Amino acid sequence: MPAKTKVLPPRQTVDATPMPALLKLLTILTFVGFCFTLALGLIVAGTDIQQGEIQRIFYIHMPSFFGAFTAFGLTVVGGILYLWRKNEGWDRIAGAGVEVGLAFALINLVTGAIWARPIWNTWWTWDPRLTSAAIMALTYAAYLMLRAGIEDEARKRSFMSVYGIFAFTSVLITLFIIRVVPETIHPVIVGASPQNAQGSFEATSGVVMALIPSLLLWLTLMPVTLIWHRIRIERRLEAVNRLKMQILSE
Amino acid sequence: MRLFLTLVPLLPILIYAGVVLAQDDQDTMPYIQLSAFNAPLLEGWENQSSDDFAQFHDAEARATIRTALVEIGEPVAAAASDLRRAFGMEFGEPIYQNKVNLADGTWTVLIYEPDGVASASVMARRARSQAVVISFVESDPAARILMLTIAQSGDAREDAGSEIDLALSLLASNKAADLVEMTALSLPSGEWTGVVGDSTAAMGMVFGNDSYLAIGEGETENLPTLADAYNRTVLGFFVTPDNAGYLALALTASFAILALLILSFFWRSRNIQKDLELIESLNQAGG
Repeated sequence: MPAKTKVLPPRQTVDATPMPALLKLLTILTFVGFCFTLALGLIVAGTDIQQGEIQRIFYIHMPSFFGAFTAFGLTVVGGILYLWRKNEGWDRIAGAGVEVGLAFALINLVTGAIWARPIWNTWWTWDPRLTSAAIMALTYAAYLMLRAGIEDEARKRSFMSVYGIFAFTSVLITLFIIRVVPETIHPVIVGASPQNAQGSFEATSGVVMALIPSLLLWLTLMPVTLIWHRIRIERRLEAVNRLKMQILSE
Repeated sequence: MRLFLTLVPLLPILIYAGVVLAQDDQDTMPYIQLSAFNAPLLEGWENQSSDDFAQFHDAEARATIRTALVEIGEPVAAAASDLRRAFGMEFGEPIYQNKVNLADGTWTVLIYEPDGVASASVMARRARSQAVVISFVESDPAARILMLTIAQSGDAREDAGSEIDLALSLLASNKAADLVEMTALSLPSGEWTGVVGDSTAAMGMVFGNDSYLAIGEGETENLPTLADAYNRTVLGFFVTPDNAGYLALALTASFAILALLILSFFWRSRNIQKDLELIESLNQAGG
C-alpha cells in the first residue's frame, strides 16, 4: 500500500503563489491613489459654503457607485464568458466582482444616507434613485447568498452567471432613473439637475478637478486590484477544497 | 539621491493639487465669507467689511448695508446695539415693527428714524444665543429710503401691490391712489413692480409668500439700486452649516466597509493556510 503522502498534489498548487509584479504595482498605485484622492477631496478642495463640510463626502459617494459599476460590469463579462467558454476562471472573476461591487455599493448607500441627514433632514427617503440603489445592493447580496447555497459546482457557476448578467439591469436602472423619472430630489451631477433636486451640487471646475482623479481611481484601479486579490484567494480556496475532496475520496 | 528619486513621481501629484487649489480660488462665489456667515458681495459699493461683519457703503447715495452677528439673542435689542456700535448714534425706538417667517427663521423687521435725516431699515433674527442683524442705513438729506418685508396675506400672489398699499399707508405721506404704476423692473434680486409720483416711489418684489418692499420719498432715482442691493443681501445671506461630524461619520463608515472587505481577504487567506497545514499534518500522520 503506497504511503498516503503520495496522493497529495504538489504543494505549490495550493500554496500562496508569489504576488505577480503587476498586482504589486497595482496595489501600490491604488493605495497611493486612494491617499491622494482623499487628500484632494478633504484638504485641497475648498469647503462648499452652502452645504458645509459634508459636501466633501461627494468625492467618495459618487466614485464608489462607479466603482460598483465596474465591478458588477466585470461580473457580466465573467458570466458571459463562462457561459461561452465554461472556463472556471471567468466565474471567479464574476463572483469576485459581486463581492467587491457590493462593498462599494454599500459605501455609496451609507455615505448618501449620512449626507442626506444634514441636507435633506432625513437619513432615508423612498426617492426613485435611493430605492433603486437599495434594490441593486439587495440584488447582489442575494447573489452571494445563492452562490453560497448551491452545492453542485457546475450548476452553481452556470446559474450565477445568468443571475449576474440579469442583475446588472438594477445597476443601469439606478444609473439612469433620475433622468427618466422626474419625481426625484436626488441631485444630478452631470447635466441639468431636476427642478425639484434638493441639496444640488453646482459642480464648479475646482470640484470637477478634485473629483476626476477620485472617479478614475474608483472606476479602474480599486475594483481591478481588489477583484484580482479576491480571485487569488478563491483559486487557493478551490484548490484546498479539491484537496480535501481528494483525501476524503481516498 | 534616493529621496530625489522618490519625490520625482510625486511631483505631478503635487502640481495637480496646486492646480485644483488655484482653480478653487477662481471658483469662489461672489460672496464675502466670514467665519460666522456669508453675505453677497455688492459690486460698485465700497467694501468696509471686517472679520466680524460685512459692510458696504455707497457714498453717492449715502447708504450703508451691513450684516453682523451680534452677541445678544433678542432681535430688537441686537439691532439697536449693532446700529449704535456701527454708526455711533442712538436710533431710539423703532417707528415700525413686524415679524415675517422666512425659510431660515422668524425675522423681526424694524424701521428707525432717529432724526430728520437718517433712517435705518433692519431685519434681525435670533441665531442660538446671538442674533443676525441686516441693516440698511441712509443719511441723504434729500431722500428718505425705507426697506421692509411684509408677509402676504391669503393666497400667494405674484405682485406686491397690496403690501405696497399697506406700507405707503403706514410709512409715507402719499398714498398709493395718488401715484401711478411704474414700469416693471428686472433686477438681480428679482422682478419688481410698484408705483411712482412726483416725490414718492414704492416698489415691491415677491419671493415665497412674502413681499420685499422699498419706499422712497424726495429724490428717489437711487431707489431701485438700493432696493436691489439690500434685498440681495437679505435673500443671499446664509450661514454655512457646521456638519463636520457627519463627514467624520461618513468617512468612518466608508473606511470600515473597505477595511472589512480587505480584512476578510486576510482572514480567508489565513484560514486556507490553516486548512492546508491541517491537511498536510493529517496526511503525514496517516503516512
